[in-house]
Amino acid sequence: MALGISTTAKSQMRKGAQSLMGLIIIYVIFSIMSPTFRTFSTFKTILTQAVILGTLAAGPTIVLISGGLDLSIGSLFCLVAVCTGWMLISGVPVFWVVVFALAVGAGCGALNGLIIVGTGIPAFIGTLGMMKAYRGLAEILARNKDMSQFPESFHMIGSGYLIPISIMAVTFILVYIFLTRTKLGFSCYAIGGSNEVARLAGVPVKKYYFIYYTLGGFFAGLSAIIQSARLNFTNSSWGNGMELDAIAAVIIGGTSLSGGIGGVGRTVIGVLIINALNAGLSHMGVSSSWQRISIGLVIIFAVWLDFMQRKRESRA
Amino acid sequence: MKKTFTFVCVVLGLLLFSSGMIFAEGAQETGGDEAEEITIAYVGFPHISPFWVQMAQYIKEEADANGVKLLDMTPTEADAAMQKAAVDNAINREVDGIIIGAVDNRAFGESLKNAGSKGIICVAVDTAIDDPNITALAQTDNLSSARVMGQYIVDNTAKGKVLILGGTLGHQTGDARRDGVRQVCEANGYEVIYRACDWDDGKAYETAINELSANPDITAVFGAWDPGALAGLAAVKEKGLLGKVKVFGFDGLPGAFKSIKDGELTGTIKQDNKKMAQVIVGSLLSQINGQEGVKKLLIDGFVIDKSNVDEYM
Repeated sequence: MALGISTTAKSQMRKGAQSLMGLIIIYVIFSIMSPTFRTFSTFKTILTQAVILGTLAAGPTIVLISGGLDLSIGSLFCLVAVCTGWMLISGVPVFWVVVFALAVGAGCGALNGLIIVGTGIPAFIGTLGMMKAYRGLAEILARNKDMSQFPESFHMIGSGYLIPISIMAVTFILVYIFLTRTKLGFSCYAIGGSNEVARLAGVPVKKYYFIYYTLGGFFAGLSAIIQSARLNFTNSSWGNGMELDAIAAVIIGGTSLSGGIGGVGRTVIGVLIINALNAGLSHMGVSSSWQRISIGLVIIFAVWLDFMQRKRESRA
Repeated sequence: MKKTFTFVCVVLGLLLFSSGMIFAEGAQETGGDEAEEITIAYVGFPHISPFWVQMAQYIKEEADANGVKLLDMTPTEADAAMQKAAVDNAINREVDGIIIGAVDNRAFGESLKNAGSKGIICVAVDTAIDDPNITALAQTDNLSSARVMGQYIVDNTAKGKVLILGGTLGHQTGDARRDGVRQVCEANGYEVIYRACDWDDGKAYETAINELSANPDITAVFGAWDPGALAGLAAVKEKGLLGKVKVFGFDGLPGAFKSIKDGELTGTIKQDNKKMAQVIVGSLLSQINGQEGVKKLLIDGFVIDKSNVDEYM
């Protein structure tokens, strides 16, 4: 048993190291190929651009490790952004806007959890349905409203480098502590590895799933607040496809789609790989269509690595 | 060890593949190799509408004609955040100037300030951006052209309700087109129903279907962009109202001309995007070279209908 755990831990560490090495190689090569890429300003831009995807991807990191899936976070992102804009133009004080917006995000996440746990339908279907519902709700709330030019005290949440990057860093630290230092977080791995075994071991699987989805919604809400503050407007077309971008970042970092393996540190690497690739290819004059193709190939490669690793482990 | 080696090889392969794209895509960078040559970036509306495909082409032609290097950094989606990121990347790339065809004119404040502080000249095409760091604008006079369209609708439609399929609410171009048509129609006793469709053809179709079902007295549908108007036309046809409900567009794109020729779309406003591209590239280059450039060019649009469509096909 001890040998098994040690092997798994080693294999996980190797996987994390591979992702990190990938990021370093990408960064070094682009730095060699493009003088403007190796500036501090570009580095800051990459970090700033990573904030929205990074905070959003914190949720899927937890959900995917637990073996779940949430396809609704892109629409949930949009719904929270629209609610935020709606409250701001209605004159609600900024502090309460942030509190209520986070509550909307967490509440929608909790609803996802309730539907999946309560009905027993697959997460794919449950969250696909809610993806449509949240989008529709956002469209109704945004109809015929110009939600822009927010108060300066709100705008500054997403402005510059310092505040957004700090929010992302704190998010990652909290998720790291949650996953590695709390029973609730640690159970994520057990449930993702085999929820039946976890249940037999006394883990309240349904209750915990509910909490994981709630956290997923909370982080989608946080991400939406930062984007609304940064762009200083919101509308109901936001968030299309962002759920897949977030899942891609988590997978590229090395968290397994099958659950039970992963960590927020890997998600940080995955998010930075996507942003460094996009920025690097932009600096080299490659169009955004080709950037998408590159990200697609990286995703396939990351999943292939995961697949090969699992195959080798099952053989051992 | 073997696996790590494979991993490194694949990452290197991906990067080589990416580098190959630069050469494969010669269109992305044009011009010579001189060290001191001018480099400008174009961050436009995604190439998902024929109007913007033409715009990118005209800007490239103009850059080629002036011997400057053009980087087309247009994102693949009509996403304001992606466009802002593209502008940030262009600034870090230390280009001499940036042409922005905004998805949403409200998204760029901080980026433009950053560009201004680095001496990078930013200009706008098609959509005005209210920012002191935007030093030139070339666009259709959307309000005046939409008023022309409003009068055309009044002259060619029986009294009733006019459905406007609009762009994104708060978007300067979309709002001007809505306001121009609405002002004239309401002044002439028409009731106007406005629906924001976010420049999304699918949303325009769904909205038109729903509104035509709910309001049988709609006599005209105006799409604030031609593909949106054609989506509205599809809804009108599906409801069996072709001929009874007239459909009007804005842009002057080939698809709209064909539909006018076929007797389906009643009319559209022709925008001169070639002139916009020529003027904005010219203005940007003049400013980069320390000269005065055109600050603002408003081009009047005009109606294309069955009487003159052949001249433009």
